Amino acid sequence: MKELDIVGLTNEVFSEEFEVPAGDLSPQAHIFNDLGLDSLDVVDLIVALQKKFGVQVRNDERVREVRTLQDLYDYLGQIRDEQL
Amino acid sequence: MPLKRPVITGMGVVSSLGCNVEDLTGGIESGGCATKYIDEWAGIEGLNSKVAAPLELKGERDIPRKFRRTMSPMSIFAAGAADQALESAGIGQSGMRDNPRAGCIVGHTSGSPQALHSVYSELLSSGDFGMFGSSDFFRCISHTAALNVSQYLGITGAVMATSAACASGLQAVGAGADLIRTGRQDMMLCGGTEELHQTVTGSFDILFAASCGYNDRPSMTPRPFDRDRDGLVCGEGAGMLLLEEYDHARNRGARILAEITGYHTCGNGTHISRSNPAAMKLCMEAALGEAGVEPKDIDYINAHATGTEQGDAAEAGALADIFSETHTPVSSLKGNLGHTLGASGPIELIVSLVMMENGTIYPTHNLKNVADDCRGIVHVKEKMETEIRCFLKNSFAFGGINAAIVCRRI
Repeated sequence: MKELDIVGLTNEVFSEEFEVPAGDLSPQAHIFNDLGLDSLDVVDLIVALQKKFGVQVRNDERVREVRTLQDLYDYLGQIRDEQL
Repeated sequence: MPLKRPVITGMGVVSSLGCNVEDLTGGIESGGCATKYIDEWAGIEGLNSKVAAPLELKGERDIPRKFRRTMSPMSIFAAGAADQALESAGIGQSGMRDNPRAGCIVGHTSGSPQALHSVYSELLSSGDFGMFGSSDFFRCISHTAALNVSQYLGITGAVMATSAACASGLQAVGAGADLIRTGRQDMMLCGGTEELHQTVTGSFDILFAASCGYNDRPSMTPRPFDRDRDGLVCGEGAGMLLLEEYDHARNRGARILAEITGYHTCGNGTHISRSNPAAMKLCMEAALGEAGVEPKDIDYINAHATGTEQGDAAEAGALADIFSETHTPVSSLKGNLGHTLGASGPIELIVSLVMMENGTIYPTHNLKNVADDCRGIVHVKEKMETEIRCFLKNSFAFGGINAAIVCRRI
């Protein structure tokens, strides 16, 4: 499980669920300001990530600190180490 | 304060025979029947009816994701039909946006059955509310199409949802006409929408109201008023109309398709699923009364007739009581489109408007031998050319809820 392609799978979620063009998925992209998600989307993002990675993150306070894609990759890396 | 006059100035449809008014009426005129065998239903235990009139979803990506994310197919259909209605009325989306005198009413039977199935499947299998997305709720809620269409179009006038099963859409049009008549709104975008699901057909199937005998010959069902009818066939789609106050329409030079001169809706107060001819008659007579017309003034009746044994006979009986002396032509469009439930009233009203404009009555498809219990009225079995100045449209729903609208050409 350590071999999970966190970047690839996370980017898949943004492409499939939120129709974000692949070219926009740079690590420094801000999830709200650059990728166009809003508060409603974040709920769906969490559900999609839970399904994609088989983890539970909805009630984790740390997920609220995520702002950029890199933040998200880093956070999912921590979750991978803790839950998988 | 004198009552205002509601008129129709725009219309749009998304249907299984075409995703605009021209294609739909072309499909009907050429005798099209949208009923198909649904392969995915083949293995569903206890579902005897395996036929439906499905619609291929197209062009949904034209709706920005911000609005589409909370839409199930029924809202996408309604948004597409709404766009067409506004375009045909010559006002487009900008004519409705941020106008507190412009509202929207969309009727349907329930929240999205496809979304409800998905959500409850997930909940029942996982028991985990943490797997629900935020957009699921907006697809499941009972006013899903009204909220989605109104957000999509930026509507700030009255927003409402009518829910009376197969009468939902006609009630939406009637309620919109009432809001204009009483001067509360200048424009109302009104209609109905539905999406297919096995639970929808199943709910009629368990009541022995769905067609089960033509699974191997789908184009032969439904058969409204026919001797060999065996039940309804569920369809899907949306019909939306722009209603407008008469002077408002005149002042902007709009093309007026018809005036809604009469509307009535009522319950039967007798039985939850059994049609009541007396209540149907009362509903139609009240609509005629409000329109200030006699039965002889109605040139065409677009029947609800879905192809059920009991409902068709009840409607034919009620019609015969009112129109037996007038020889008014009657036809049903369910043989072409199946029963689009809450969408059927507006879709069929739109086709009736086209019939009025063209002086043509489309026949009841699949009506070959009029059933003994459906006699006493003039059935249209072949395309008929005649002048239509005024017509009556019926919708009758489970729960004993009836609706009827009278439209007249201006």
